[in-house]
Formats: sequence, C-alpha cells, structure tokens
Amino acid sequence: MTIDLKQLPQLHPLFKLLSSGAHLNRLQDSELWVELENHQSQYETLFAALGFSLVLDGRGYAYFKTDQASTYTGKLTRRLALLLMLLFEYQADQGLHLFQFQQWQLDTPLINKLHIHYHAILEAEEITSPQTIKEILDSAARIGFLVLEDGVYRLQPAVHRYLDLFQELAQAERNDPMQTEDDAGDTL
Amino acid sequence: MSLAQYGFQKLVLLNSAGYSRAELPLDDSVSIIAPNNTGKTSLINALQFLLILNKQHMDFGAHSPENTRRFYFPYNSSYILLEVLLPSGMAVIGCVGKGLSHDYEYFAYQGSLDLDDYRLQNGHLVAQPKLISRLFECGKPAKIYQQADLRALLYGNRQKQRSDDPDLTIFPLEFTSQAGTYQRILTRTLRLDRLDSREVKTYLLEIFKNDLQDRSVDFKSEWDKNFADVNYDKSQYDAVFRNKPLIETMENSQQTRLGLRGKIIQWRPLIEQGLNDWEAHFQNSSIELQQRFESLTTEIGTLEHRQKAIFQDQANANIALKEHEKKETRYQELTVRFQFVTDGTQLEKQRQALQEQRDDLVTRIKNAEQHQSSDAIKRNIAKIRKERDELNQQLTNLNDNFYLQLQKLLPKSSFDLLTRLLAKSVLSLSVTEGNAIDLHDKPAFQSLIGVLESKLSGNLLKLPGFSLDISALEANLTLKTAHELETEIDDCTRQLSALEKLLQTVETLAQQKQKQTGVERQIKALDNDIQDYQELVSLKESESTRLQTIAEIQRNIAGLDQEELTLADNKKSLAAMQTSLKTEQGELQSQHQRINAARHQRLDQQPPFNFLEQLPSLPCMEPAVLVMSALADQIENYNRDCQKLRQIDDNLSLQLSKLHQEGVSKFQTQDSAEQELVALFNYTAQLSQEQASIERKARSAVVQVAAILRDLRNSLESFKRRMREFNNKINRRQLSDLKVFKIEPREEDALVKAIQTLISTSEQVDSGNSFDLFDHNAVLDDKELNKAKDLLIKEGEARGSLRVEHLFRLVFIIAKEGQEPAEFEDIDSAASNGTVLMAKLITGLAMLNQMQDPRKQIKTACYLDEAASLDQHNQRNLIETAAEFGFSLIFASPEPQITARYCVPIGNVQGKNTISRLNWQILEAITAENQA
Repeated sequence: MTIDLKQLPQLHPLFKLLSSGAHLNRLQDSELWVELENHQSQYETLFAALGFSLVLDGRGYAYFKTDQASTYTGKLTRRLALLLMLLFEYQADQGLHLFQFQQWQLDTPLINKLHIHYHAILEAEEITSPQTIKEILDSAARIGFLVLEDGVYRLQPAVHRYLDLFQELAQAERNDPMQTEDDAGDTL
Repeated sequence: MSLAQYGFQKLVLLNSAGYSRAELPLDDSVSIIAPNNTGKTSLINALQFLLILNKQHMDFGAHSPENTRRFYFPYNSSYILLEVLLPSGMAVIGCVGKGLSHDYEYFAYQGSLDLDDYRLQNGHLVAQPKLISRLFECGKPAKIYQQADLRALLYGNRQKQRSDDPDLTIFPLEFTSQAGTYQRILTRTLRLDRLDSREVKTYLLEIFKNDLQDRSVDFKSEWDKNFADVNYDKSQYDAVFRNKPLIETMENSQQTRLGLRGKIIQWRPLIEQGLNDWEAHFQNSSIELQQRFESLTTEIGTLEHRQKAIFQDQANANIALKEHEKKETRYQELTVRFQFVTDGTQLEKQRQALQEQRDDLVTRIKNAEQHQSSDAIKRNIAKIRKERDELNQQLTNLNDNFYLQLQKLLPKSSFDLLTRLLAKSVLSLSVTEGNAIDLHDKPAFQSLIGVLESKLSGNLLKLPGFSLDISALEANLTLKTAHELETEIDDCTRQLSALEKLLQTVETLAQQKQKQTGVERQIKALDNDIQDYQELVSLKESESTRLQTIAEIQRNIAGLDQEELTLADNKKSLAAMQTSLKTEQGELQSQHQRINAARHQRLDQQPPFNFLEQLPSLPCMEPAVLVMSALADQIENYNRDCQKLRQIDDNLSLQLSKLHQEGVSKFQTQDSAEQELVALFNYTAQLSQEQASIERKARSAVVQVAAILRDLRNSLESFKRRMREFNNKINRRQLSDLKVFKIEPREEDALVKAIQTLISTSEQVDSGNSFDLFDHNAVLDDKELNKAKDLLIKEGEARGSLRVEHLFRLVFIIAKEGQEPAEFEDIDSAASNGTVLMAKLITGLAMLNQMQDPRKQIKTACYLDEAASLDQHNQRNLIETAAEFGFSLIFASPEPQITARYCVPIGNVQGKNTISRLNWQILEAITAENQA
C-alpha cells in the first residue's frame, strides 16, 4: 500500500498525541478524529510500520495499543482503574446508567463522596485525600481519559477501555458463579 | 421455476477469461465446482462488465484494468453474454472485444441467447465488426450501446433512454439515482472479501438517502447566518448599553444644539439689522451724550463760581463775627473781673497807695544801699533800744525809782555822789517790794551812805585802796519829766523802728528789691486794670449794638451755609450726572468696540451656519427683541451661541466617532450624522425594548437553526426506523447459529444531545407558556445552549459540514445461541468464517433488495466463494433468503454443493476452461410425486 504523506496533514499532531500515550477523543479532538477516520487504513498501516498498533474505537476514541507499561503509567493505571471502578460502582448504586458516563459531572462534592464512601479501599492504594484523587484525575486528564471543564471532570469515551474491562470481569464472574474466591483472584 | 420468473437466465463466455466457452445457468442457485484457482471467480467477475458497466465501479482485486481487459477480451471474438428474461421478453446483453486494443463494446437485443448466432458456419466465432450484421441476419436486430447508454437502459433510467430503445431494465431501482450505490454494493456482493460497518453505513445512507432529508448542514454558517443579525444587534446593544452615560450626555448636547440652532436662526436677522443700524445709533448717541456732558460742565462752572463767592462771604462774616464775639467775651470777662469795682477812683486810690509803698521801698533801698553794714545798724539799734529801755524804766519808776528814793533819803551831797556812782539803770530801778532793789532798812542805808560821804574829801573819794575823782563822773540821772521821757521814748522808738526797717531792708535787700518789683508790677497791673476798666466802661456802652450785630452776622452766615449746602448738593448731583454721562459714554464706546470686535468674530458666515435653516432645530420660544443699547451683549451672546454650537458640533462628532470606535455602527447607514444621532437616541431610549427584540430575534434564530437541526434529527430518526425495517429484513431467517444479527445505529450521544438541547430550547421559545420563564434566562447567555452550539460548530468545522451520518455509527450486534449480544464494528472479527460470509452476503443482498423497486422483481445473481464453509442448512437458508431478495445464489467450491439446483463443473479442453450446458447437473428434491 502506497501512503502519500501529503494526504495526511495531521500526521504530526496525531502521532505526537498518540505516541505520548494519550487517547484521542472524538469530540474533544474533532479535527484529528475526523482526519483519522477519513484515512484510517493509511494511518493504521503507517503507524504499524513504525511499530505502533493504532486502535480506533467507533465509540469515539483512539490510542496506541502497547503491552509495555512504565512503572509510572502502571501505577497511574492501577489507581485510575480503582478510582473508575469505585466511581462506576457508586454511580450504579445511584441508579445511573453506566454507558452514559460521558454525561456525568465529576465535581468536588462527588469526589468527596467517593473519598468518604470508599475511604478504606482508597487508603490501601495510598489515596488519602480528595486532593490525591484530583491529582490522579488530572494525570488521567493528561492522557485523555477525562477532561476538566469549569472545575468539573468529565469522563471521555476512552474510559470505555476500563468499562469494557470491568464488564468482562463481571461477565467472567457471572459465568463462573461457583468459582472460589481464590480462583477469582487468580483470574484477576 | 416458472417462466413467469423474470431474471437472469444464463451467462455465456466465449473466448474470454481463459474460457473457450462457458455456459452458466443463472435462473436458480448454482454450485460451480472446480478446484481452487481454476477461474470460478473470473467467471463470476465477468458479470461486472455487463452489470456494473462503469469501469470505476468494477473491482477485479489486485489486477490492473489493462490486464483485466486483456484477460477478458483477448480477441475481437471474445464475448460475455447474458440472457435475461424481462417483462418485455427475453433479451441479451453482450459485450464484445474489439481486438488488439483489448477494448470492448456493448450491444443488446431482444430475443433469446442462441450460441449459434455467434458461430459461423466454419466453426469460428463471429468477429466484432461483423457481429451486428450477423445478428441482424439471424433476425435479432442488435444495437451497439455506449456504456453509459446501456447502463441507463439496464438501471431503468428513462431520462437517458431514447424512445425507440427496448426496455432492458434489469435493475428496476426505486430511485435510479441510486444506480451508482447499487453498482458498488453489487460489486461487493460479488466479492465479499471485505465489508465493514463503515462501508455498510455508507451504503445504507446511500440507500436511505431519499428517506432522509439529505442535508449537509454547515452548522457554523447556518448559525452565523441566523445569528449574524442577532449577534450584530447584540453587539450594538452591548456597545450602546456600555456607552449609555456618554449617549445620554450626547442627547443633552443634541437637545442643546437644537435649541441653539433655533435661537441662532431667530437671532440672526435681528443681529444683522442691529449691526446695520449700530453705526448711526452710535454716532447719535455719542453726540447727544457729549452735548449733555458739556451743558452739565457749564452748569457746574456756574455753581462753582457762586460757591466761591459764598465761601468769601462766609469767611468775611465769620471774621466779623469772631471780632464781635471776642469783644463780647472781653466784656463778659471784664464784667466778671470788675464785678466789685464800683468806679474808677477806687482803682486810682489803690494805685496811689501802691505808688507810695513803692516810693518808700525805693527810699529804704537807697538808704540801705548808702548806709553801713548791718552790724553797725544792729549796734545802733541795741544802743537806741537800751536808751529807750532806760527811758521806759525811768518813765515806769518815775514815781518810786531808786533815784527818787535816794533823793528823798539822802542829802544832796550824798545824793549827788551816788547818782554819780550808780549806773543810771540802777537808779531807774523800781524800789517796790519784790523788785531788784529792796530798800528794806532805810536808816541802815542812810548810815552807810553817810560813811561813804565821809570818805569824800572834795571831789576825791577815798576809799581803802583806791581813790576816785568823782568830778570825772557825770551825774547819771537827771530826772526828767514824764513828757520829756515820753518824747524821748518816742524818738527812740522811731529811731529804732527806722533802724530796724533799715536793718531789715539791708538784711533783705534782694527781697525788698523783689518786693519793689512786685509792687511795681502791681502798679502796672493796676494801671492795666484801670485801662481795662475804662475799656469795660466803653464796652458796656456799646453792648446792645454789638449783640445786634452778632445776631445779624450769624443769621447771615446761616443763610450762606444753607445756600452753600444746596449748592454742594446741586454740584454733587450734577457731578454724578456727569459721571454717569461719562460712564454712559464709556459704555457706548466699549459697546462700540465690543460690537466691532464681535462683528469680526462672527462665525455665522461659515458652515454650518450658512445652511443652519436646513438642519433640524427647535424653534426658539423666547421672544427675541433687539435693543440697540444691549446690542453688544446680544451680539456677543449670539457669537457665544455660535461658538457653543460649533463646540457642540465638534464634541458630538468626536463622541460619535468614539462610539463608532466602541462598535456602535448600527446607525452609520443613516444619511447624516444628525439622523444617526436621532436614531441612536431613539434606540437608546428604547434599550429595554431593543433588548427584548434582540432576545426575540435570538429566539427566532434559535428556532431557525433548530429547524435545520430538527431535519438532521428527523433524518436520524428516519434512518433508525429504516434500520429497524432493514434488520427485520435480514432477520427473517436465522443465519447460521446466530441468534441475533442486527446492524444498529449508535448515536453519538454528545452531538445528538447538543442538537436536542438546541431543539428543546427552540421549543421552549416557540411555546408561549414558558415564555416568561425563558425570559429570565436569555437565549444569548444560555450556557448550555452555547456549549451545545460550540460542540456542533466544532464538529461541523472538523467535518466540513454536519450530516446525519455524523450523528451515529453502525455496529453489528451479534449473539450466538446462549450468548449475550455483543457489538462489533468489523463483522470479520465477530464470528466464524462461514457465518461472517453469510452475514455479509445477507447484508449486501438486503441492501440491494432495498434499492429495488418492489413492484418489479427481476431475479439477478450473487456469488459466494468458499461455499463449503457453510453447512447445508445454512446453504439452504441462504439460497432461500437470496431468492427472497431476488437473487440466485452462485456457490463456488471444489466440491458440489447439493443444496443448489444446478451443479456445474468446470471442464478443460485444450488447456482452456469450458463449461457446457451438457455438463449441467440439475438437482431436484425427490418428492412423493416424483417418486410416483
């Protein structure tokens, strides 16, 4: 396949964004997204040739899939996974539909509630204050999972990655209701 | 199969695609049997030349167009032929190679496909140049068609057909405009190697295009277009609101300006007139004033003259009065002084006495000056005093003095002796008891004296130890008479007093001299007095006359004073009049100067004053009367007004341009700045209404924009509805083991929500009920609305425009038995190979079917490679489903698929593939009837 780089004017910003480990969100980065959508196969090929595996999820996000993770991102990912999981659980308990997470407003009161509600669990991950939660969210915002608007965090489509994972886990649990706790732990 | 089934009958390839000859039945499902890579796909792909026609839509995979052409049309006797049964009868569509160029051309004719028509008697195939005549000979008048014309025929595009063309519509599309899409999908269904959700989406959008309000919304330009006015108005409103204080000031200025204009217009002719008349007025007034001034000067001169005379008289009278009064005072003084003087002689006498006193003093002083010293005088005095004392003693003891006693007692001789011996003073002592001499024993005394006389012998008295010639002694006392004594005493006394005085005079000579002077002064004073008295007397005599004169003079003076006073007043008032005249003159002069200056300073010859009447103004209601004396003030006021007007003009123009800079441009289109101002003030006055009207406009703009968005949303809804129908269509039969197979649109929530926000806002605006509520939350400041707008603009800009397809994506929802449905974007990854193939085929066929006119079913063909991967159940299902959609299914596989009606093996003759109808195997279910 011949790729004409002149046909890909947004290659530079796209690559810069994606190679930094950030997520491209459909509505947040409309221009880049449309570009990616219009030349999906070219970009996929090009990036693949460079050693990156581009994932473009129709739900509105794109990223470079990587198996390696630095200690930092590992820690952040773990903490963010925990936070999001708790957030989803909390919101589900409030009767909110999980797939509408993009409409949630993750504001200070909600963060405080999360902190109070899951105090003990968060403590184990050394998340000791709402401020720490905000720091994690800020870090997550830098890689495109959230966006901070008017002091309120909003989850971006990239969070589907986590949500998919949570659902998979939940599915696995449902499919194996008789499995012992130890086994479940192994699966995780 | 009934004859009534319109559709493909058979495909024939001659000298094409490696086939020397191939006859493929297409009126029902076919299983092409051949090992891999023996030309099954080439056979099917040949259909593309006839069905797709458009080179751009044909797809031969990795092969280039040149190679493809060479492959399919190596000779000018290479044919691809398709027999179709149409409602108008049997028809043949063909494509024939043109030879070396490997080009080809289309032809078609009505009638059945008879291969003998293409074979010459020598066994060769008819070459392209002779084809038409050959067919004509065979009774089949064929026509050569341009690709585009033939395509129009096949896809039923009546507009592009000539009236004499036969009806060769194979694909009766509901909308001929969809021919392109149909062709593309057809290509895909012929080659199902790749079909992902995006393509499906594209096709479906094409298919449903006519159900959707196919609008490409340039949301930003729509928004800008609709809100251009509103935003402009709002910006104007904001600018005006921001500058309201300035505008109010300007309005006041404008009001003042109108007033000033009226005033100036009113005054201008008056001022002109006044200036014309002024010179004469000034001259007359000047002369008149000068005359009056001069007459006053004369008058004042007269007064002054008279006044001088009065002053003279007054001075004279006063002098006279003073003189008389002095006399009177003198008289009074003298009267008092001589109150106790009865007449002049008294004074004369006094003078006489004093004269004498003085003379005495003069004598004494002279004596004193001539005489001895004071000691000598004192001795004299003592001597005289002694003498006088003796005399006094003698006088006192004249009767009983010791002398007399002695005289009586003693004889004469004794007596004589004693008088000589005893001192006169002793002799003159009194012999009375208690005095110095006490003659208590007169006999003893007489004896003693006798003794003494015994001692006297002649004149010599001899006493023990001494003798005394008594003749040398005078008798000390001769007894004199009292009178003698008294006279002597008087003399002594006189002498004494004279001496004493002398002494006194000598001792107090300075004093005396002083006294003399004093006396002389007294005399002189007295002389004066005498003179004064005489004066008094004369004054007394003239008293009455004098008093009369004084009164007269006083009266005179009073009269003069009165007159003088009157005169002074008169003069003062005259002077005042003169001063006022002077002032008047000065005033007049200064007025003249001012008027001259003002005349030169007049601005009203320049613009805008020379067309002031044409400008708007307020008529001046104050009465304007020109007063010559106030002309200077009036013209100055007039000039000031002009100045002020010009100032206001300048200010207003400055302020206006400031407003322009601030962005107030709404009224710049007015013919003049003046009208612009009026419009601006009106606008400012109705700012709240303007706000409301902007708000209304904003709402109507929202409604407008929302209407466009509503189309989008409606399109989305229509699309979703059509998708539900489509899903029903593809789900009529179960595919493989798929419990669920759906293609569903997934909305892009944020966008749809943004659209919804705008629409619901507009609905709020539309419905009168919530109007008030809405009023509090102005459209232009609605945060949610703005956010929605921004999102749509951003999306629209990124995509060039906003279309319904941007609002959703398609997902394949697949669930096998006993599984939860899962969403997939790429169907390839969703299930097993065969299932995926089926799903793709069904989807493609359903899409094609969707486009076809349901009233005209013409059965065409579709192709499924690797058919062996499907089990027979699925194959049957597929065949039936395809038939329902109007397609005969062509399976390709190395082994025969017995679910098909025809099994057609590909044979090989002389290195060329060949399919002969003789090799067709027709499979039919064994029914009871058949068995029977």
